[in-house]
Amino acid sequence: CTNFLTTQLTSSKTSDSYYQTPSDAATALVGCYNGLDLIWNSGVAVPLMAEVESDNCFGGTGSSDGYGYEMMDEFNKSVSPSDVSLFEGDWEAYYQAIYRCNTLIGKIGQVNWGKDTASAKTDEGEAKFLRAYLYYDLVRLFEKVPLITVPTMANVPQASPDSTYAQIISDLKYAAANLPSTPYPNVVNGRATKWAAEAMLARVFLFYTGYYGKADCAGFTKADALAAIDDVRDNSGYGLVTDYTTLWPAASAAKGVTYAGEDNKEVIFSIKYTGNGNYSGNITGNPFAIMTGMRIGAGGGTSIYPYAYGWGAATVDPKLWNAFSASDSRRFASITSITDEGLDTKYTTITGKAFTGDNNREYTGYYLKKYSPMCDSLNNALPNTNYLVAQPQDYFDMRYADVLLMAAELELGTNSGQALIDFNRVHTRAGLTAATSITLADIMNERRLEFAGEGIRYWDLLRQGIQTAATTIVANTTASYLSDGTSSPAITVANIEATRGFQQIPENQITLSGGVLKQNAGW
Amino acid sequence: QTPTIDLSLKNVPLKACLSAIEKQCDYTFMYDNSINTDQPVTVEARQASLPVVLQKVFEHTSIRYEIVGKQIILKNKPATSSITFTGKVVDSQNEPLIGASVIVKGTSKGTITDVHGNFSISDIPLNTNLVVSYIGYNSKDIVANSAHQTITLSENNRQLNEVVVVGYGVQQKKLITGATVNVSGQDLQKLSTTNALQALQGQTAGVNITTTSGQPGGGIKVNIRGVGTIGNSNPTYVVDGVITNDISYLDNADIASVDVLKDAASAAIYGINGANGVVLITTRGGSFGVNGAPKAQISFDTYYGLQNVARKLSLLNAPEYATLQNEAAINSGVTPFFTQAQINAMGPGTNWLDEVLSKNVPTQNYNIAATGGNAASMYSLAFSYTDQGGIIGGASLSDYQRYNFRVNTEDKLYGNFMKLGEHFTYSHINQRGIQDQGIYNSSLRGVFNTSPFLAMYDANGNFLNSTKSTFYNGGPWDTGEANPYAMMLYTNQSRTNYDKLLGDVYLSIQPVKGLTVKSTFGLEYDGSAYHGYSPTYDLSATAINTTESISQSSSVGYTWNWDNTANYIFKVNKNHFDVLLGNSIRQYTGSWLYGSNQGSTLFGNLQYAYLSNSAITSIAASTSSTDTKVVTNTISLTGNANPVVAHSSFFGRINYDYNETYLATVVLRADGSTMFAPGYQWGEFPSFSAGWVITNEKFMAPTKNWLDFLKLRGSWGINGNDNISTTFAYESLIALSNATYNLGGTDVPGSYPNTIGTKNLKWESSHQLDFGFDARLLENLNVNFDWYNKTTKDWLVQAPLLATAGVSTPPYINGGDVTNKGVEVQLSYNNHIGRDFHYTVTGTYSYNRNNVTNIPTVDRIIHGGTNILFANSGEFYRAQAGNPIGFFWGYKTAGIFQSEADVLAWRSKSGKVLQPNAQPGDVKYVDVNGDGVIDANDKTDIGDPNPHHMFGATLSCTFKNFDFSVDASGVAGNKIAQSYREEASQYSNWTTAMLNRWHGAGTSNTMPRVTLNNSNWVNFSDLYLQNGAYLRINNVTLGYDFAKLINCKYIHQCRLYGSVENLFTFTKYNGMDPEVGFSTQGAGSNYNFGQGVDVGMYPRPRTYLVGLSVKF
Repeated sequence: CTNFLTTQLTSSKTSDSYYQTPSDAATALVGCYNGLDLIWNSGVAVPLMAEVESDNCFGGTGSSDGYGYEMMDEFNKSVSPSDVSLFEGDWEAYYQAIYRCNTLIGKIGQVNWGKDTASAKTDEGEAKFLRAYLYYDLVRLFEKVPLITVPTMANVPQASPDSTYAQIISDLKYAAANLPSTPYPNVVNGRATKWAAEAMLARVFLFYTGYYGKADCAGFTKADALAAIDDVRDNSGYGLVTDYTTLWPAASAAKGVTYAGEDNKEVIFSIKYTGNGNYSGNITGNPFAIMTGMRIGAGGGTSIYPYAYGWGAATVDPKLWNAFSASDSRRFASITSITDEGLDTKYTTITGKAFTGDNNREYTGYYLKKYSPMCDSLNNALPNTNYLVAQPQDYFDMRYADVLLMAAELELGTNSGQALIDFNRVHTRAGLTAATSITLADIMNERRLEFAGEGIRYWDLLRQGIQTAATTIVANTTASYLSDGTSSPAITVANIEATRGFQQIPENQITLSGGVLKQNAGW
Repeated sequence: QTPTIDLSLKNVPLKACLSAIEKQCDYTFMYDNSINTDQPVTVEARQASLPVVLQKVFEHTSIRYEIVGKQIILKNKPATSSITFTGKVVDSQNEPLIGASVIVKGTSKGTITDVHGNFSISDIPLNTNLVVSYIGYNSKDIVANSAHQTITLSENNRQLNEVVVVGYGVQQKKLITGATVNVSGQDLQKLSTTNALQALQGQTAGVNITTTSGQPGGGIKVNIRGVGTIGNSNPTYVVDGVITNDISYLDNADIASVDVLKDAASAAIYGINGANGVVLITTRGGSFGVNGAPKAQISFDTYYGLQNVARKLSLLNAPEYATLQNEAAINSGVTPFFTQAQINAMGPGTNWLDEVLSKNVPTQNYNIAATGGNAASMYSLAFSYTDQGGIIGGASLSDYQRYNFRVNTEDKLYGNFMKLGEHFTYSHINQRGIQDQGIYNSSLRGVFNTSPFLAMYDANGNFLNSTKSTFYNGGPWDTGEANPYAMMLYTNQSRTNYDKLLGDVYLSIQPVKGLTVKSTFGLEYDGSAYHGYSPTYDLSATAINTTESISQSSSVGYTWNWDNTANYIFKVNKNHFDVLLGNSIRQYTGSWLYGSNQGSTLFGNLQYAYLSNSAITSIAASTSSTDTKVVTNTISLTGNANPVVAHSSFFGRINYDYNETYLATVVLRADGSTMFAPGYQWGEFPSFSAGWVITNEKFMAPTKNWLDFLKLRGSWGINGNDNISTTFAYESLIALSNATYNLGGTDVPGSYPNTIGTKNLKWESSHQLDFGFDARLLENLNVNFDWYNKTTKDWLVQAPLLATAGVSTPPYINGGDVTNKGVEVQLSYNNHIGRDFHYTVTGTYSYNRNNVTNIPTVDRIIHGGTNILFANSGEFYRAQAGNPIGFFWGYKTAGIFQSEADVLAWRSKSGKVLQPNAQPGDVKYVDVNGDGVIDANDKTDIGDPNPHHMFGATLSCTFKNFDFSVDASGVAGNKIAQSYREEASQYSNWTTAMLNRWHGAGTSNTMPRVTLNNSNWVNFSDLYLQNGAYLRINNVTLGYDFAKLINCKYIHQCRLYGSVENLFTFTKYNGMDPEVGFSTQGAGSNYNFGQGVDVGMYPRPRTYLVGLSVKF
């Protein structure tokens, strides 16, 4: 009867019977990448949160929706007291993705690699890059998070940010050292590369040393950062595309130029999405895109070529529009102005009704364009399978322009000539006259314009110190564009400073931990 | 001196007369058991001497007496002459009993009754004692005399002498030491329900039966002695020895009896399967002919009924809705939507509930059966057909058809040495239905929440797209709302066929007297075939489907079991032993296949919606010049084998009694299960029980004349449960699905660990103590009483896991204890008034308190789910120590703020204004923890969804050829959380309850003001709760038997009846139906333990039906 009670599992493998062959490991690594598609598909997309909380955008969303996005925008829990677990979806998805990476990294030794020892290193390197990428988001969002590098069901208390940054640096260094130095275009689009790891090292260094006012990040010095970013700038094979507009599909369509594609030479690392997303668990669509889509028409349901409608989150503060000079090609590419592009008139033609922006809370007349969902020429939202969960546009996480501006920032004061060259490559590409000298403020402003709507501005503000960040964010929100008759955004320096720029830890997880997890100040 | 005696007795049993005489003098009667002391005597004596009285007593009997000293010795008179005795045997309803045996006592001489119930027995002495018996009836002793006698036998279904089914055998009910309850199939068949379990409602104390949906074929939830786990708390069903989890495939007419094993001792023989109680079903068998004469009976039963909604929810019409929307706007500081003139000009708008409800929907049932047998073999065959349409959407959308075939036979081989038999039932179910559970995709939710402004049709007679509505200032009112009737029609295009074959073959031999060795092979086959069609539609801004799609799926499952038992019954003097030893192995295997395809279809309808009738195409890239990725995953094909589940079991039982007075039973069962890791697979489940038939004691003699029977009993035992939805929960599993990533422009398949295994997972067990008694008083009143204390330990739960563990499916762990304590009373009384009026009254009552004693998770709570009451609604029920399972967790309220002063006066103990931002008309929340702030810490236990009291009653009576019965049941002590409105939207319609809202000081202290953001309803509070008590008149039936009028030799019954199902419900609950069986899902997990949540349930219909029962 012992045999009778021994049954075989036909529908799955177990973690003991799996991770045996290099092919198992390669497939498991894809599962780790799939984690990147999960992280923003529940809760709040991090670039969206960053745009809303920065001085670029308001919360937006529908006039009868909950006030969660306003709560973020205003750093004020009392705006939407019931939203105690706004980021729970993120928290869960990030740790799911981390669990996949941790399991694979832990099982690398179990795999029978044979002669394929190179794959052992690259698989581990990519998994460690992904783990670092995930923890870098978490540590910026919540500052103190449980640092888990070996799968566990234990109730782990939050680690100090220094420990988490040390782990991030260590993982990125491993990736930079072990991933091959194959240059673009001989890399597989979507995979983490040595170049992505090096650029991330510089980004982490700048944020950590900026926010915490430290000289180095877990022993990773400014010289290390400069060396890393120079290596990417000079040896990676990546570069700038000529026309900024061609980086963005909606802008390209609106302007009538050819989209550069997702594998263009400027994209060092991206989160890949597909149009195959569905409601049956295949979570591979870009959630950031559908949220920023314009919410016009009664009910928010009218597309106007090439812009498909979305949920109208992160409505653009007109001050961002005004920050661009009219000759800056990045203005059109980054922001959709309803009146400037005549969309109000087109709306009336399509629907036969007068245009109102009423359905969108905090409607400003400006929407983010870079990740705007799109429609076909007959104004049908794309992809027509399931546009809500299948927005295919990749999120460009690390562009070559960022490498140039980071290089300029790191070189400023030590190698100002090179800094100016790097800066001007980005600046002139936008159709502007080359600068003759630059300051850190110029670089920060350039970054604001270059990366508008890409979820980068908020972190750039924070790394200038919470005070600078708070005053900048507050200074930019005076006007009221509310359509639902409720109070206008009341962002105060005190509220922002109280949170130190970090987000609310999901209350449900604190409850589940029995109080082992501690809530962030200000929430 | 001769004593004098006063007697005035009319038709009393002789024994009563004798004891009356004994009381009045110091003489005692001496007699042996050949004297029939049950025969009726009539004596009238005033101050008469003893000899005179004795003369009178015995003058019409066959007894002679002799006075010896102070003793009166009774003897039967010697036979004088031979007579031919004739008579007729009938049942309590005066129906002839065919094949009843009439035997001379102590001999094998006798006869059986013919088809009219008549018998004739010749060449017997006058005053011979005869025994009249019939299976299922109490035997009766009669004395033969020259007169023709009509002998009425009473049914013994509920009597103590009956034999009831226990696990792997039968036992005399009077000797049972556990808590069981028996319901005859006839009682189920009297109620014309599609599902037999529904007919059981209210008939068995301690068994709470709730329909989870009133839809045809809808589920039924059964809890025996309270909810013992947050996992699957349904009992195990055993049909003729074969374990199954669903008996909806049976027709009521197939069932001979239902025995519910409630306490641990009774269920212990099923060890692993016993933790939530066991329901044993015996299907109808044939009967061996008596004295070699073959017999047969053919019966035909049918009913046809019309169903309508029993209670309709009242929703706001257009002017009422507009008025409240205006008020909400004003309360939210926004300009009102409508002028009074506009409101006045409105018609009533669309009543969506009327649009989806169908009237006079038919339900029908036909059953034809034959039973019979000869001396060596017997059979029972039946075919039945049931068809019930649904009252929402009508039979085209919601319908349940069932075809049953049943064959049961048994043959005796080599005399009584061997028995060979089988039971097989095949059923084919054809089902379609609308979605009615939960808030998403539920047709009813659409009905409740769509505004009355939206019209059904546009000018062309097509369903109106809400974006094209011109109701509101020439434009649409809410472009997000979609015609709920059309949505119901479009999104419920599916049909499922279920096939089930359940049965067994068995062989038993009796090598020596008292020893029976039996081997049974049982099989359950379940197959299902589904196909669905999704048409294109465009009903609102969001309710759009641009491509047709077809889906098709099928699954099969086989479970076989092989049971071997040896049963030895023997006695040593007055010690009776019944010893059972056995083993059982059982294995489940199964597989499934699912496919769907999106794109144009050949036929464009459900009837031909099969995969090959759709174009296997990908959707073309858009015509846009921009980079839009070609979508190719329009075809989905998945399938797999289900994990094999196997059980291996050994069990033994000893039933012992001493002289049928001191009773004891010991059961031990060991089960091994593949649900657990090697080393954790085996569990042992013991039980002990004892009983004392106290009425057999000499000292109980004084109560004999009113207390016929009293048995005290007690039991203790452990039952197990391994019923979790995940096999291999002890392993970390790797998933391949939904793990692709786009690398280099192609979707590359990935994998990931999606569970965490818990190696040391073990059995869930329930420990139960039971004390009770069974009594019969005054011959006609049966009383059963039980007190129990049941603790379920080591629940197999998917406890919510910290997200940092990294899996979305929390692993199973052992944890959580819950106790259920209660009492049960079951009463039945039957009697007659005169010869023609017979009546039976039964009543059941049970009381249960459920209390969680331990939850082992970090925060000691198992959380309820979210998004249940409305989109984005928070948690509102939990399992937590010190509270009942699934208690409602929310804010206490203290009325409505009537004024600004009221708001300022609502302060904490320390004088802090509790709700400074509240407006008059808002809800006052209670600061439960007294910290001066209203926040989540003030949420508390505000109600128990588990009923505390459950009751049922049946009255049935017959008068000549008429029969009449009323059946009622209900519950009390529970709360229902009602949420019909989608509070996430400002546009949702309200029920008319909202007309009583606060709209100015003094207008209401219970219903808050309306606002656009529904702020008073966002937080779960006792505003949502209502008393869930109800008493439902389930069935009223009046019938008449025409058989006598027809007077045909071959027709023994021809009963025509009319009945009403769900006639009336007494309740204060204002929803559609207080019987809320919907179970809601716990946080992020597979189990459903939220009870009493009414978010709009398919209501049970009221049915008027006529039926016919003919027996040949």
